[in-house]
Amino acid sequence: MKIDGGCHCGFIAYEGEADPDKAAICHCTDCQTLSGSAFRTVVPVQDADFRMTGGQPSIYVKTAESGNQRQQAFCPNCGSPIFSAPPGDGPKAYFIRVGTIRQRDAFVPKAQVWARSRQAWLADAPSVRTSKDTQ
Amino acid sequence: MKITGSCHCGFIKIEGEADPEKVSICHCTDCQTGTGSAFRVSVPIPGAQFNMTGEPTGYVKTTADSGNLRVQAFCPKCGSPIYSTTPGAGKQAAYMVRVGILDQRDQLAPKRQNWFRSARPWVTALGGLPKNEKQAPP
Repeated sequence: MKIDGGCHCGFIAYEGEADPDKAAICHCTDCQTLSGSAFRTVVPVQDADFRMTGGQPSIYVKTAESGNQRQQAFCPNCGSPIFSAPPGDGPKAYFIRVGTIRQRDAFVPKAQVWARSRQAWLADAPSVRTSKDTQ
Repeated sequence: MKITGSCHCGFIKIEGEADPEKVSICHCTDCQTGTGSAFRVSVPIPGAQFNMTGEPTGYVKTTADSGNLRVQAFCPKCGSPIYSTTPGAGKQAAYMVRVGILDQRDQLAPKRQNWFRSARPWVTALGGLPKNEKQAPP
């Protein structure tokens, strides 16, 4: 389906085509740190289907446990994570951060990766106290 | 308890005292965009007990329902979110530190969820999703 999105401050904007069945959660410790949260939610967009329509993101190159390098793109003004991608030219997929997609309601994760470092309390989330609106 | 943490690239380092009973999830749409994920996890640290090395970038968010301005601090080199706080010069009264950057995050399970009206409907059903212990098979 067609998607569009961007960072919180509006500097970064993008559009593309993404398959909702490919939305996934990543529980790796890198994603925990880089999101500041418990996990990341991502969906791949092929480069032929991906277009940046606003400003240019900052790029941080992360070296994974596998030795693979991976670009982490974020907004230089507001810090919102935008995507990750392999460095260099050639065919690639951009792993878009679902929280920045306007149509995020349509992207329900279908898989979880790096479950070995998943935060233990996630299984218990329904029992955590909830407030309907604000604190 | 004493907490320590760092952004992914190591430019920003923090330490302080945090109460594990005050860890909370925020499901607001601003936090979804600011993390790129489904929600944020934060814990408050009083300013008097908060120390930091490195200089984060502060983004002043103006979109709160309350009208309150909120500074969102992130690492300018790797983008890791660090904390949010009140605007103003010098040390602030409290910092809402992002739990994903803390070394002790395994001991900081959330006790409360805020802005549940915009929670992703699937977050309470994670147990049913297929799990890969490491990366997905190609």
